[in-house]
Amino acid sequence: MAAPTVKVARGWWGLAFGVRRAVLRLPGLTLVRWSRYGPEYQDPQIDKEYYRKPLAQLTEEETYERELRKTQVIKAAPATKTSSVFEDPMISKFTNMMMKGGNKVLARSLMTQTLEAVKRKQFEKYHAASAEEQATIERNPYTIFHQALKNCEPVIGLVPILKGGHFYQVPVPLADRRRRFLAMKWMIAECREKKPRRMLMPEKLSQELLEAFYSRGPVIKRKHDMHKMAEANRALAHYRWW
Amino acid sequence: MATPSLRGRLARLGNPRKPILKPNKPLILADHVGERRREKGEATCITEMSIMMACWKQNEFRDEACKKEIRDFFDCASRAEAARKMRSIQEDLGELGSLPPKKLNKLLQRFPNKPHVS
Repeated sequence: MAAPTVKVARGWWGLAFGVRRAVLRLPGLTLVRWSRYGPEYQDPQIDKEYYRKPLAQLTEEETYERELRKTQVIKAAPATKTSSVFEDPMISKFTNMMMKGGNKVLARSLMTQTLEAVKRKQFEKYHAASAEEQATIERNPYTIFHQALKNCEPVIGLVPILKGGHFYQVPVPLADRRRRFLAMKWMIAECREKKPRRMLMPEKLSQELLEAFYSRGPVIKRKHDMHKMAEANRALAHYRWW
Repeated sequence: MATPSLRGRLARLGNPRKPILKPNKPLILADHVGERRREKGEATCITEMSIMMACWKQNEFRDEACKKEIRDFFDCASRAEAARKMRSIQEDLGELGSLPPKKLNKLLQRFPNKPHVS
């Protein structure tokens, strides 16, 4: 990406990215694209349980932290983060990844329609099944969503490493957030690319989520392909230096 | 041992003999020190990874069959990550006896070498 535009009162142009900190809070310098909060601003605490804890039960560090927060300036919480019981960080992240061009309304409606479609399909199966099978059918769309994405997470990743003028795909352990991101990205990419023309996104997504929940389907296959490539390249693991 | 003498070593107008030293940069103290050479790291968690891959080979890459190996691999990876973080914090905190090069450079920037007499 090109160097971020910084509106400058003086004619001081061509700053490198790393110089941002030195340039940050000077009078006459307005940052247009980045956060307007200074470094003294703390992140808001959305979690209700944090505030419900009775004061008697807090440890020393927690009381100190509470007192400290009373004196600190706090950023405004974003509109998408609520302290509602229905709030799910993974669903929010998935919605954001599905969003195109900032159209959060559309992405959120697609997400709710997907969850509704999953629930409807599972209820149909439930009502059509016998008593023993009814115990095994999962109807909560949120558990299905979480379990499906958990099944799609790769265990090991591949990273291109330059050695001797060639790039080798080296197997590497991934961080938790990277694995979750890859699972969500694969799911969305699969639904966007391999969708039949007249099928809508919620229907395709619900189909893929249910298949991933039962550990079959194309996203799981992509995960297995990644694992197979890692297994094939296991001799190159020594190219890592971390 | 004291600094070796510089008298009559360089090629100057007042020096009749051949120069002993021919430095390619002026012999003046710079306002920064050189960076610490990065140690060659080696790959971590290789054994756990190979055990896990052997398990995968036996069980056709099914994850439910290899849960224990996968968990061991994740534990090893998180331990390695924590160790790496500790090591980088230690380096930033202090070398044995002296400051890390970045902090030294900041200090020298504040008190630069004076090649002139003011």
